[in-house]
Amino acid sequence: MKIETSLGSIGNEFAEETIEELLNRSRSRVDKALKRMRRPQAAVGLVKSPLGELLVAMSARGIVLNHYMDDAGDLAAKIGKLRLEFDLVEDQRAVKEVGEEVRLYLAGDAKALRQKVDLTLVAHSFQRKVLDKLQAVPRGAVVSYRALGAAVGAASSARAVGNTMHDNPVPIYVPCHRVISSDGRIGGYAGGIARKIQLLRCEGFQLDNAKPRILDSVVWGHKGTKIYCRGNCRTAARVDPARVFFFADSRQAKRAGMRPCKICRPV
Amino acid sequence: MLGARIEFFGVGSDPDPTATRIGRLTEDRLSSKKTRELFTIDRLRGFRRYMTREKLQVPLPFEQIMQRHEREIMRYLLRASGNREDAADLFQDTWLHAYRAYPRLQPKSDIRPWLYAIAINLCRNRARDGARRARVIVPDNMEFSTGNTAGRHYRSRDENDGYAAVHLREMIADLPTKQREAVQLRYLAGLDYAEIASAIGCSEESARANVSQAMKKLKAMW
Repeated sequence: MKIETSLGSIGNEFAEETIEELLNRSRSRVDKALKRMRRPQAAVGLVKSPLGELLVAMSARGIVLNHYMDDAGDLAAKIGKLRLEFDLVEDQRAVKEVGEEVRLYLAGDAKALRQKVDLTLVAHSFQRKVLDKLQAVPRGAVVSYRALGAAVGAASSARAVGNTMHDNPVPIYVPCHRVISSDGRIGGYAGGIARKIQLLRCEGFQLDNAKPRILDSVVWGHKGTKIYCRGNCRTAARVDPARVFFFADSRQAKRAGMRPCKICRPV
Repeated sequence: MLGARIEFFGVGSDPDPTATRIGRLTEDRLSSKKTRELFTIDRLRGFRRYMTREKLQVPLPFEQIMQRHEREIMRYLLRASGNREDAADLFQDTWLHAYRAYPRLQPKSDIRPWLYAIAINLCRNRARDGARRARVIVPDNMEFSTGNTAGRHYRSRDENDGYAAVHLREMIADLPTKQREAVQLRYLAGLDYAEIASAIGCSEESARANVSQAMKKLKAMW
């Protein structure tokens, strides 16, 4: 008999029934052992929105990932990160709501974004602190990178805040589009400046497409004193830029609990 | 009969739309030899896409991977170890390790050699630990029957093992590690050289060389 034939027949004494029986016995053992080390599940799916196609992942605790699909290179890295924490299941139905909420939000419904946010993918404690603080910035207001850094006790960390915004796993829901440069230019955005402009516009800011910057007509408010002023108020020279919010208009400032300045009397 | 076997292996009842095509393909290409049959089915199932959708880059759920490959892995372990208890233990360990490492597997890489790589590493560990442990624990009358799976000094006393098979097993067990693993992957699991290379972690040429060296030795002793 040729040796290749004999090699192929090694183990043939185990009939397929033996394998079947062993499999049946082993399956429950494996399942039991796997159960102890299971990662939580997350549903992943594509949704269509006015901001383009979004890849959305939902865990039991809320929305974990919201990714602009035209950024394909980044997608692999994001999915890779997601896989380390979750077992992924493709499920369009679980994520469909997100698309609807984003659509309503851009149409002007301020309370449309109802999903809870799960920041599991944010590993760094600094980044998590920054994103937590950012969630307190209301619709119709913006802060600077520097001011946001100062809010978590790191006034000189504007760059680190910028990186955090870039890595934000859940844009739109965690409003990283509400963070701008201290000098009034609107800064960058992971999904492209056009999207940032679109989002800020729907929140009440008037922006020029060619040279987007926060106009002087907006009011700014001081976090400590809870006073809001016109852009050209003379007190502006004295205040710490790290403690300043910008608002689309006086109404937004009032809604955030501020009073008008008695010197410049903003309307 | 072949149709029945395909059904039996779950290919026919698989919801995957490519399944029926694969079933037909398999039926056409299969040779009469039983082992060849089994390999071909496994191989074709392994070729199927393992991402749910190319665009999403979301890999298949682990359960599906398990369902697809468990029979093949069990068969390999059983053939390589020649012993049910070891095969069952190694089977469990293989899947636990695979689950832990699954997120780190690149979505585009091939899943079959990856699984075999885990399986043979575990076989190797077990052979090493078994050789150490066997001296102390195992009672006299079953001296080499457990623990020494793919190890060098394995002496099979298992059910229905014909003399030729026993002899061959011993000869394989005496080969150097790399050659032994290459030969087992080639002839017990039916992997091709590219797959062996990625399972062992060497170049395709050296996989080929290892198999041929091993075959030369085995033929000389045959």
